[in-house]
Amino acid sequence: MNLRIASALWRTLLFQASWNYDRLVGVGMAHASEPLLRDLPGGRTGEPYREAMCRATEFFNAHPYLGGMAVGAVARAEHDGLPGEQVRRLRHALIGPLGSVGDRLFWAGVLPAAVGLGLVVTATVSPLAGIVSFLVAYNAVHLAIRVWGLRAGWRSGPAIAQELTAGSIQQGLRVVGPIAAIAVGFALPVVAEWLAEEFQMRTRLSIGLVAALAIVFSRWIVPTFGTLRFGLAAAGFALVVGWLS
Amino acid sequence: MIETLAWLLLWGTVVGLDLVSVGQVMIARPLVAGTVAGAIAGDPVGGATVGAVLELFALDVLPVGAARYPDYGLGAVAAAATAAGAPGALGTGIGVCVGLAVAYLGELGIRAVRGLNTADVRYRREALDAGDAAVVRATQMRGLLRDALRSAVVTVLGLAIAALVYRWPPVTVQGAVLVTIVLIGAALGAGATGGMRLSGRGLHLRWFVLGVAAGVVWVIVT
Repeated sequence: MNLRIASALWRTLLFQASWNYDRLVGVGMAHASEPLLRDLPGGRTGEPYREAMCRATEFFNAHPYLGGMAVGAVARAEHDGLPGEQVRRLRHALIGPLGSVGDRLFWAGVLPAAVGLGLVVTATVSPLAGIVSFLVAYNAVHLAIRVWGLRAGWRSGPAIAQELTAGSIQQGLRVVGPIAAIAVGFALPVVAEWLAEEFQMRTRLSIGLVAALAIVFSRWIVPTFGTLRFGLAAAGFALVVGWLS
Repeated sequence: MIETLAWLLLWGTVVGLDLVSVGQVMIARPLVAGTVAGAIAGDPVGGATVGAVLELFALDVLPVGAARYPDYGLGAVAAAATAAGAPGALGTGIGVCVGLAVAYLGELGIRAVRGLNTADVRYRREALDAGDAAVVRATQMRGLLRDALRSAVVTVLGLAIAALVYRWPPVTVQGAVLVTIVLIGAALGAGATGGMRLSGRGLHLRWFVLGVAAGVVWVIVT
């Protein structure tokens, strides 16, 4: 069975490969679950396997790193012989919590914290050290959560909610936000100093003025504009002025 | 030259796949993508500089659920190729301009791939509803191929824009410095806005302000 879990774990890396507007990651979920369903009574030609695969391809969504929890939990529920409707309810019940916990833990926590670390090390040590420290710090947490999630799901089955409310996850959610806020905040002046180090004080003040205007514009005047559109507008303006100068 | 372009194309394809389809181990972050692309092009520091500027823009992006977001990784590859070899501030601003444009092209590409994936899934609805494992696997592989193609095409477009900018610079030396100043300032502002949005309004915002203050002290002391 360990080989099947390893195969499922590998496939969770492709969880979003066929992301689409109809089933979101439903097909990816089925692809990752398939190795764990092969041992159902009758094997790959049996009715339980076919029915489980039918359910596995239905609409599903979750944070990609925590999708393995759903893969393990739903596969365990199929092995435990839960009625099909209960398996469906379990899948639907997992969508919200796995998305919410994953987004808060990774996109609003571990990722900005690791980015802050990478930027600071890049600015103060070297670019190579910066990207290595970023990748190691981020993926140590990311890969550990992927492995833990699949195993926890497979171990707990329908009782997977207990794993999500466990102390370590809740504690992680509590501390990761402040760590990310401090890391990003600390990185900003350090990176500003590094990017502006070749300029004289007057030019540095100009950069600071542009940054202040950018904060006012993107935070309060047009907060829904998005940083890319804002960056493209700034680039267009600068190119026109630079072309005229 | 051809060998360098081939490596940049390979790297861009891998970076594009990492954004959504494979692994998400974050080699698609502009800091990583730009530094490695810069190293391939012979200027790792230039690549890291444009990568760091684009990273500040990317701090505001939360890649949640069905959100559509710019592909800053592919943007960083094109930006690093543009900035490679240019002395100091001259290449940074123009490189970041190219990077932002390519990031937008990458976003359009993601929308197209998702649309094609949707059409594919609808076309094979009966087989998927029947739980056919071979069709499931093939659907996943076609999605991967589409994303690899998107990444490769956007990388080629980015390298073509970089070559055009290298051949016909759009601004003078003085103008290039001005573009760099504006874009570094805009990126720092975008990064600060991203940090404030991530922190929210409560206690975390105080942690963010504390971090900024600690960073300022660090800069003054060192």
